[in-house]
Amino acid sequence: MANVELMPKLGMTMAEGVILRWIKKEGDRVEQGEPLLEIQTDKVNIEEESSYSGVLLKILAPEGATVPINEPIAIIGEEGEDVEKILSGIGKSSQSGQLESENRETEKAEVKGAELKGIKESVREERHVQTDKPRATPVARKIAKENKLDLKEVVGSGPKGRIQRADVEKYLKEIEVKPAITAKPEEISGRVPLTGMRGIIADKMQKSMNTAPHFYVTMEIDMSEVLTLRERLNGKLKDVKISLNTILIKASATAIKGFPIVNAYVEENSIVMKEGINIGLAVALEDGLIVPVVKDADKKGLSEIAREERALVEKARNGKLMPDEYSGGSFTISNLGMFDVTRFTAIINQPEVAILAVGMVREVPVVVNGEIVIRPIMEATLSSDHRVIDGAVAARFLKRIKEILEDPIQMIV
Amino acid sequence: MSEKTYIDALAEALREEFDRDENVFMMGEDIGIYGGAFGVTKGMYPKYKDKLLDTPISEASIVGAGVGCALVGMRPIVEIMFSDFMMDAMEWIVNQAAKLRYMTGGQLKVPMVIRAPMGCGTGAAAQHSQSLPALFAHIPGLKVVMPATPYDVKGMLKAAVRDDNPVIFFEHKLLYWTKGDVPEGDYTVPIGKAAVKREGKDITIIAGSIMVPRSMEAAEKLKEYGIDAEVIDIRSLVPMDVETIVESVSKTGKAIIVEDDNKNNGWGSEVVSKLIESDAFDYLDEPIKRLAGKDIPIPYAPELERAAVPQIEDIIEGVKEIFDKR
Repeated sequence: MANVELMPKLGMTMAEGVILRWIKKEGDRVEQGEPLLEIQTDKVNIEEESSYSGVLLKILAPEGATVPINEPIAIIGEEGEDVEKILSGIGKSSQSGQLESENRETEKAEVKGAELKGIKESVREERHVQTDKPRATPVARKIAKENKLDLKEVVGSGPKGRIQRADVEKYLKEIEVKPAITAKPEEISGRVPLTGMRGIIADKMQKSMNTAPHFYVTMEIDMSEVLTLRERLNGKLKDVKISLNTILIKASATAIKGFPIVNAYVEENSIVMKEGINIGLAVALEDGLIVPVVKDADKKGLSEIAREERALVEKARNGKLMPDEYSGGSFTISNLGMFDVTRFTAIINQPEVAILAVGMVREVPVVVNGEIVIRPIMEATLSSDHRVIDGAVAARFLKRIKEILEDPIQMIV
Repeated sequence: MSEKTYIDALAEALREEFDRDENVFMMGEDIGIYGGAFGVTKGMYPKYKDKLLDTPISEASIVGAGVGCALVGMRPIVEIMFSDFMMDAMEWIVNQAAKLRYMTGGQLKVPMVIRAPMGCGTGAAAQHSQSLPALFAHIPGLKVVMPATPYDVKGMLKAAVRDDNPVIFFEHKLLYWTKGDVPEGDYTVPIGKAAVKREGKDITIIAGSIMVPRSMEAAEKLKEYGIDAEVIDIRSLVPMDVETIVESVSKTGKAIIVEDDNKNNGWGSEVVSKLIESDAFDYLDEPIKRLAGKDIPIPYAPELERAAVPQIEDIIEGVKEIFDKR
């Protein structure tokens, strides 16, 4: 007697599984408990054992297919058993009898399709009922809308839980009572609509925090060598001044060369690794923020970066930046050191996958070789999109930046 | 102002219109010496010999002659003994009376009134008991009215006679002997205006013809249940006074429509659709309910005849269900 192997439920939250690989092929003999196929769930890849002993008569879901739990994936029975009969048994029973023998193969497939579809549809119907918007009368909806109230929060007293006017009014009264006791009516001095650049920033930052799971690593970086280097360079260079940002751009670009995953962006369901290393620098404006981009920063010299950076910042402050000057970035640096900020975390400038937030360089007593010495220390925090970058990768990458900054000759050669 | 029956109010309107305009006259079966099947013209014949024209039993001829008279400048009132018999004259009503003004670009007018007793409750069986206002309300070019009180029937008949378009004037047989205040002398009740017959705040009952007095009684009883019902008499199906209905339903948030007709495609569904299309939609706090006759020919057996259309207790129950079911 043949049996139907179902997609197993391998975890509390598992709703469907992907067939990664059939270990047994159609016609193979399989014993109960023997590995039958490999399944990928949302958490793990797992070898699934056969629930039955017999011959794998029919594979119902091909490799790569996504199958909801408890749906048939294979039929295991005795050699020569009528698979068709079992297939029709999965769903409606009488259809197989009407099939003509010469068309068996194709019709069998159709029947299977119909059966599976039937199962799927019943599942979908159930879901539909669950996710349907609340049952409410037009006037209840209207009042809810006027009060920006989500009807899902209101309990309906009408038939089948229909929310009626009185239910909404009662609910509004309840939520009104609480703040009325504690808070005075708020006094406001002005109202600025969230539009234009403010609106874009609001949208982008909210989207970034909502879609990218941020995590942060922080390091203290000894900036002695960088400061010395900058002093020496600026003593020599006449027409251009190397800033700390210039050095940070160059150092980041140099570090990124060994970490292509940081020089990436997320598009739909894929990670796109960028070729050019384009470093953005967050520039504060009177009424917002913009990130001009130094393209191919790894290939440019410090003075070239410095010149470009200066021109870009100037343009940014005058609102003259062209779109290609603030787009196409692959990594962003945000520096709030000039405001005496010692450490902060930045929100990733999507679709990029990481951003470096640096604070001020300040003199801090540190222990070097058992002795307390005073060193110029800068704290740098890397925010990473954990969908793409894992903790160790982020730490290694930030350590690389630290190494470069503590031995800046590395970014010159 | 004195209390009169619906029939007396009708007769008064007829006499006053006969006197007022020499072109006004009436045609119908047995309306002369006999005084009409329901006695509307009883005793009028000696004085109005030339105004009351007895006709053969042929509704097609009666209405056809009426259309012809109207076209040459008369203002005929034709009486159809039972509104069911209008089926015999459909060509004249639907294809001629309703369309001639339009088809001649207004050069011709059909100022005709077709008076037609309708409705069940008299044990007259399936072919004498229908209520068909909705059937005619569907035809462009016809006005369709169904006054429910002696006051309205006098004023609306006068308005109908003076209207330059064909008006189908439905009188419910059970209304003929109901009484109400009717002013002496000339007044009209405009066609196309509904009446708030009782004010209330909890629910709007929209009724027509015989269902108006039944709804009024039901509304009184509903006070015992703490329900304050507003009763609207629709009075005129074409044109329909949507504004009054929308205003009332917007106020109460609930509506029940009570029809004498059978339910399928009755005028109540038109009212529902008008409400859904209007601002009243936003104020609805219950699905709109419709009470109407069963979708059957009217039975002869008295118990079944009674059960075929809404009675006072049905209206009370219907309203209570809306409030009780939570």
